[in-house]
Amino acid sequence: MKLLDKTKKAFFSENPVTALLLGLCPTLAVTSSAENGIGMGLSTTFVLIGSNVVISLLKNIIPSKVRIPAFIVVIATFVTIVDMGLQATMYDLHKTLGLFIPLIVVNCIILGRAEAFASKNSVMDSFWDGLLMGLSFTFTLFILGAIREVLGSGAILGYKFIADTTPTILLFVLAPGAFITLGFMLVGMNKISKALQGGK
Amino acid sequence: MAKDESAIKVVLVLVIIAAFSAMLLAYVNQVTRGPIEENKRLEVIRAIEIVLKGLPVYTVPDEAKLMEIDNSPIKYYPATAEDGTVVGNAIIAMAPNGFTGEFPVMIGLDNTGKIIDTYVLEHKETPGLGDKMTHEKFKGQYRGKDITGTNWKVKKDGGDFDAITAATITSRAFTDGVLRALEANKALMEENQ
Repeated sequence: MKLLDKTKKAFFSENPVTALLLGLCPTLAVTSSAENGIGMGLSTTFVLIGSNVVISLLKNIIPSKVRIPAFIVVIATFVTIVDMGLQATMYDLHKTLGLFIPLIVVNCIILGRAEAFASKNSVMDSFWDGLLMGLSFTFTLFILGAIREVLGSGAILGYKFIADTTPTILLFVLAPGAFITLGFMLVGMNKISKALQGGK
Repeated sequence: MAKDESAIKVVLVLVIIAAFSAMLLAYVNQVTRGPIEENKRLEVIRAIEIVLKGLPVYTVPDEAKLMEIDNSPIKYYPATAEDGTVVGNAIIAMAPNGFTGEFPVMIGLDNTGKIIDTYVLEHKETPGLGDKMTHEKFKGQYRGKDITGTNWKVKKDGGDFDAITAATITSRAFTDGVLRALEANKALMEENQ
């Protein structure tokens, strides 16, 4: 039951994007389609799990004065591994996401979880925290990307469901669409998390 | 967190972490370098098949040949028939000044200098906008064109090509890249005569 509670927390009341408003740069930039959202989310999840586990292992060794540079080195290492790994295994996905992967280094969610959670908790807890936070980030990006793709390109996961000639709302693929969709999503997600809390 | 640490320990820990990261990355780089290069090579082969579609039996060299047009590097793969005559050419040119920098475009030409097809090898143009240059609606315009008789600009600049909605800069860069490849092909054809 503890895990269910944690999951609920990670997806709703402590959702990194819709409740804490962290990591908005990748959130807004890559979610022009659902596929990009999933790819970015899963890459971030991998980095998050890796950095959380390593930082939690090193928490008694890293001096507090240099903890931020040390965290950044660990995170940057994992990001570079993801970048090279994707290029070697999923070249096509890397073609779309390549630009955004180096940006994971400066994603506040990862540094935030390292500072607030992994540096104070056990390795197992940090692993679960990384996994749940990462999946919740992926979930949020997927929803955001799906809404924008449906409205902006008339497609879902690359499959077009309307004729090529039908005009779509181009705005939703462009940057303003990301802000507008995110705004509505914040309302919806906060309503859901309020309802979940009220039901307890 | 350990408290009351000396300066030496602080420096030492950071150096050790950085050194360990460097070693790990060196290892990952070694493991992935081969597959990455293989992927890039396969991508080029796939692209050649697409841009030279419809040509009779031909062979292309494994390694690209190199030349320069306007101080920009050009790679090309001449397609030859069994008797050694050139039947077409797959040319990679850099499209300058895209929305996020330059990107390589491959153009396949037959032996009369007409475009068979185009293929963007890699790019970082805006997803959903600039990346429509790989869609049929846009790149179809370039098929069958040659360097003469076509005004190699987008319509906004007085040329012959419809730009992608909301991605004029990408369309312009793509058109310039194709033109560069055509100029390279022209130079090559003159050389052969």
